[in-house]
Order: sequence, then structure tokens, then C-alpha cells
Amino acid sequence: MELIWFVLFAILLAGYFALEGFDLGVGLLLPVLGRTREGRDRMVAAIAPYVLANEVWLVAVAGTLFGVYPLLEGEVLFTLYPLVVAMLLCWVLRDAGLWFRRRLDGARWRGFWDAMIAFGSLGLSFGWGMAIYAAATGFESPAVHPLGMLLGAVVTMVFAFHGWTFLAWRAPGTFGASRSVAALAVSALVAALPALGVLVGAMPYLLEHSAPPATLNVLSVMALPCAPIMLGAQIWVWRTFRPGKDAFRLPSFF
Amino acid sequence: MDVLELARTQFAVTGSLHFLFVVLTLGLAPLVAIMNTRWALSRKPVHEAMTRFWGQVYVVNYALGIVTGLVMEFQFGLSWSGLSDYAGDVFGAPLAMETLVAFFLESTFLGLWIFGWGRLPRWLHLACIWLVTLTAYASAFYIMLANSFLQNPVGTVERGGRLDLVDFGALLGNKALIFSFPHVIGAGLFTGAMVLVGASAYQLRRRTEHVEFFTRSLRTGVVAAAVGIVLTMGFGYAQFGGVQEGKFDGNVGAALPLGLMIEIGQLLALVVLLVMLPMIAVLPRLRWTHPLLIMMTPLPFVLAIMGWLAREVGRQPWMIWEKLTVADAMSPGLTSGMITGSLVGFAGVLGLLAVVDYVLIAKIIRRGPRDVALGAAVPADEPRSPALSY
Repeated sequence: MELIWFVLFAILLAGYFALEGFDLGVGLLLPVLGRTREGRDRMVAAIAPYVLANEVWLVAVAGTLFGVYPLLEGEVLFTLYPLVVAMLLCWVLRDAGLWFRRRLDGARWRGFWDAMIAFGSLGLSFGWGMAIYAAATGFESPAVHPLGMLLGAVVTMVFAFHGWTFLAWRAPGTFGASRSVAALAVSALVAALPALGVLVGAMPYLLEHSAPPATLNVLSVMALPCAPIMLGAQIWVWRTFRPGKDAFRLPSFF
Repeated sequence: MDVLELARTQFAVTGSLHFLFVVLTLGLAPLVAIMNTRWALSRKPVHEAMTRFWGQVYVVNYALGIVTGLVMEFQFGLSWSGLSDYAGDVFGAPLAMETLVAFFLESTFLGLWIFGWGRLPRWLHLACIWLVTLTAYASAFYIMLANSFLQNPVGTVERGGRLDLVDFGALLGNKALIFSFPHVIGAGLFTGAMVLVGASAYQLRRRTEHVEFFTRSLRTGVVAAAVGIVLTMGFGYAQFGGVQEGKFDGNVGAALPLGLMIEIGQLLALVVLLVMLPMIAVLPRLRWTHPLLIMMTPLPFVLAIMGWLAREVGRQPWMIWEKLTVADAMSPGLTSGMITGSLVGFAGVLGLLAVVDYVLIAKIIRRGPRDVALGAAVPADEPRSPALSY
């Protein structure tokens, strides 16, 4: 039972990196590729249908952390307190940027929220690198550490590359390149590598610190039957918004 | 203020902000789903316009519900790790269910509903908003389940200084839960309905050109408000059987909001059931009533916060009733500097965003059902596939 929940937790965390990684990557690339307002509109419209289905993977990660590894939940979040607060604020600003950018007309309004999307994506990507470094050292190293900063830069670059690949898959040619779904899968795997690395290292520790069987049984009975529905809903998103004759369109809600 | 007071303030501020948006989400979701159903059945333009306009209010409100909710979820680990140390094996399960299953599905289906407009088949698109409603209710259920456990920790035994879950059925049948959950659902419906009423009254007062649209909306709002307030009051009074003994005795911070909620709630119920409902046919035309209807719109939000203050302040000093104090639940080692920094950050950013969001909602309502972004069709001159046109 502990193993099932570890696998589920690993899928959720790696899935978050693989999926939200390209949303953050496109956010990072907004100031780079989106020189014009229309360019940025197209970039945001490309990720828009996926964002709600992607970011929720981290919400699920945190919930699973609480339910399956309750002792760890407090320890991990508290140890990284300033980093977690900063990353949460970045996430909040990124989301607010997406929801608000088209709500009023005016170049300055949209430009401001586009900057918030880019800033939030940068803070979140960089923060993930720092958090993963801290996790890899067993939370022994301080949150701000040169190697952590280096990993932060690496994760940021990887996400940006993943976002670029996503754009080239969903809107071939619009931003220069065209990529196949296989290339997108490879860049998703690369984006998930930092998370997978930490998960492999932490596996024995996590298995040992799982919630007791009574709790896991309740969670299994209630959550596992929903897993096919959740998977189905995610597949439905990808089928509905696949590239093609209607790939991404304007006006998009985001 | 000491560290504990600051941590409590942070939770109270973020929690109250969160619920202000959640209570409207819970109310508007079923109302928008009903409008969408009528549109799918009748295919009339007015029903489409109602779905899109009120849907836009709903999703713009939803944005703040998400971002405040993110902070809520992570706050447990940040400043209240004593709770997961002591009761994580019990309290974590409903929170995991809420985030892992209910909100996961809600967010996925909401994305499909917003961006699948004009792309998904009519009935599947309709199914999405009903699934959003269903999973939003499921979310509310699990959160109330978790909260009710804090109020009345049933189904557990203490072993080795930690709480063990022994009977999940007892958590589901918790007397602190069975009436509080429908009370919250009713309050949400009442709040959403009163927003329909207030916004429609505003437009009708301004002699809107969309008379049929806002007449229908106002009447839908009045009927839903009547249903909502009856549910809220009925299950509200029923809750008193399940309240911990002595919860409100000598606790002014809890008794005062409780009293205000009950008094104002009863007054509103009288107005809705004995005045607005009987006058439903003429209300859209009686322009002198419209300022009164507009003034009533914020009241359900105030009452919802009062209700939470009564429930939560009434639990003091306990985090888990007679098992764990709030002071013991605070993360050990939390410093004044840490909590001040996060309090300023969260309250500042979320507070500003909340103000922006309400201004945006007010602008949507003032602009009326023309040029609604939600479900907007692709203009003819816009290339449908920019990929191919470059």
C-alpha cells in the first residue's frame, strides 16, 4: 500500500513538472518571443486551455503530501518557509496575470499582467530548482545556496526549452519552429528529471514515513476509484485542444 | 502582537478572503449550470447570453478563489505543522481527498468548460459545468469534513502522542458535519442568488436595453435566494444540536458574530420570503425597490464571514476540540520575522488582487451582456488556424 501511494505521489510530482513545466516555460518566454502584444496573446492562448488542468497537479501533490506523508508535510514546508512563501506569491501573481490580462482593454493593463506572468513563472521555476536542491541534501543546506541557485537556473532553462517545444508543437511555425509530439514528450521527460531524481533518492525515506495503514486504506478506497476518471479528464483535455484545424484561437479567455 | 497572534491573523485574513470568493463560487456554479441547461434545451439567444454573462462573473470570481485557496493549502504546513504532527493521519485524509480528487477534477472540467466553448459538443460542454458544480460541492464537503473533525474529533484514538484514525464512518457521520455542510451550500446559493438580484436591479434601475435578460435574471435570483435562505436557516438551527457544550459561553468574539448572523439572517429571510417572493412578478418593474435590492447584495457575504468567525473563534483556544490547542499546533520555531514577512506578503498581494477582482466584476456587471469574453466566437477576419497562415 505504501508503494502504491509512493508511485502515485511520484506520478503527481513528475507530472506537475512535465505539464506545468511548459506553462511556466511559455510564461518565461513571454518577454523573449512575445515582442508584440499579438505575439504574447498567441503564446498565452496556446497554453490557456491546459493551465487549469496542469497547475492542479501541484495542488494534488501538496494534498497527497498531507494525507500520505503528514509528518513530512509540516517539516518540508516549514524548513523552506521563506522559499515556499515566495514561490506561492509567484504562483499567485502568475495566475492573476493569466486571469486578469484580458479583462480590461488597454495596452498598459495587459502589459502589466504579462510582466506578472513572466515574473511569476521565473520565480516559480527558479524556486523549484532551489527547493529540489534543498530536498536532495535532506533539507540540511540553507535554502539559498550557490548550488541551489545553479539548479534554479538549470530548471528555469529546462522549463523555457520545454515551453518553446510546446509552442512549436501546438502552433507549428508561429514562433519559428515545428516539433512533433515525440519531441514534446522528450522535453516533458527532461523537465520531469529534476523531480524524478529527488523522488528516487527520497524513496526509502518516503516509504518509511507513510501514514499508518488505517489512513492509507481509507484514502485508497476513496481516491483510487477516482483515478481513472482523473486520467480520463486529463486525456479529454489533450484530445479537445490538440493541434489541428482549430489549434489555438483568438480571442482566448486568458 | 506575538507570533501566535500573527499566525492566527494570517490564517483569519487569508481564510476570510478565500471564503468571500468561495461562497459566491458555490452559489453561482449551480445557477450557471441551470442557465446552461436551459440554453442547451431551448437554444434561445437569451439563455446563451445569460450563461455567458453570469458565467463570466462566475469565472472572474473563481480566479481569486483559486489563488487564495493555494495559500490556504500550504499554510497548514507553513505555520501549523503541529497539527499534522499530532493529527495528520486523520486530518490529512479529507484534505488529500479535496485536493487530489475533488479540486483536481473541478479545475480540469472548468478548463474544458471555459476553453471548450464552441469546440465541445453541446451536451458534453453542458456536462462540464455540471461536473464543475458537483466537484465544487465535493470540495466543500471534504473541507467541512476536515473542519468538523477539528470541532468534534470523532473516530480517533490517541496512541503515543498522536491521533490514529480508527473509524472513518464516524468522521462522515460527525454531528458537527451533517448540518453544517448543507448550511454552507445553502449560504452559497443564497449569496449567488442575491448577486443575481442586486446586479439585475442595478441594470434595470439604469433602464438597461436588456430588459428581458435582467428581468429573467432577477426572478431566477429571487427564487434561488428563497431556496437558499430556507436551507441556510433550517440547517443553521439544526446545527445547534451538534455544537460543543459551552462553545459560545462567555466568548464574546464568537457570540457576537453568531448573534449578528442570526438576527440579520432572519431579517433577510423575512424580506426574501414575505416581500420579494410574493412580489416576484412586479419586482423588475418597481424601480424604487432596486436601490434596496442593490444594498442587500453585500449582506450574505458579511453573514458568511460572521458564521465562520462564530465557528472558529468559538473553538478557541482549541485547534482540535479538547485535544490540541492552537498554541501547540503552531509550527515550533516559527519566528516573528517569518510570520510577519508572510503575513504582509499574503495579505498585501491577495488583498490587492481581491480589490482588483471585485472592481473587474463590477465592471462586467456595469457593461452588461454585450461583448462578453467568455464563449466569444472567433471573428470572421481572424484566421482560425494562425499556424497555417504564417
